[in-house]
Amino acid sequence: MSDPTFWLLARASGLTAYTLLTLVVLAGLVVKAKPLAAVRPAAAVDVHRFLTTLAIGAVALHAATLVLDSRVHIGPRALLVPGAAPYRPLATGAGVVAMELMLLVAISFPLRRRIGVRAWRRLHWTTYGIFALATAHGLFAGTDAARPWALDLYLGAVGAVASVAAWRALVPPRLHHGRST
Amino acid sequence: MYRIVIDRSLCSGFGSCAELAPDVFEVDAEGLVALRTGTSADPGVLDAADACPMAAISVVEVDAA
Repeated sequence: MSDPTFWLLARASGLTAYTLLTLVVLAGLVVKAKPLAAVRPAAAVDVHRFLTTLAIGAVALHAATLVLDSRVHIGPRALLVPGAAPYRPLATGAGVVAMELMLLVAISFPLRRRIGVRAWRRLHWTTYGIFALATAHGLFAGTDAARPWALDLYLGAVGAVASVAAWRALVPPRLHHGRST
Repeated sequence: MYRIVIDRSLCSGFGSCAELAPDVFEVDAEGLVALRTGTSADPGVLDAADACPMAAISVVEVDAA
């Protein structure tokens, strides 16, 4: 029996990355939807960027441990080319595309002035797709997905993002919150 | 009276300030925010500075004279 360390790390870092991505999306939504009047948008942006760094770190650990592990056969090529992994190519491919789009959106932040701030914000709409792909990846490629606690995590994450996104779409932002006198 | 300064190198065109104080802030052709006026008596500029996601707006209270 081979050493399960990398295999356990790969599963744990995948779930961690998904949880962090969920928090990144929620913090990003708080910036514009303003569900919490007490949270300054600039503070929400700081938290959003910090969580993004952590999430990318967790994705990098997830990818590295999958390559290092000998139980699943994922090489460097399968990390970059969607569908190149022998195990559940569609579900693992969804993870690869989510990772690549996540890096694209993250890299666009320091380049936002060069690409234009309107194009940068349009590109940010991709994050809904990234979240959907990551959810599908976790549910259909994740070893732990069938366990009740993991299903609760996915349901909670999708429910939270859908609720705050609906808030953003339906509730107009608060204008003049209390200092207009 | 308030004096308003925008750090245009930080502005990312969210436009929250222009929604809160449209007499003071406007979104220009590039999608960035420009000042219509450098000073204003409208306390809404304080809300606009608070609402900026990039913390790009500074407001200083100055004597009206």
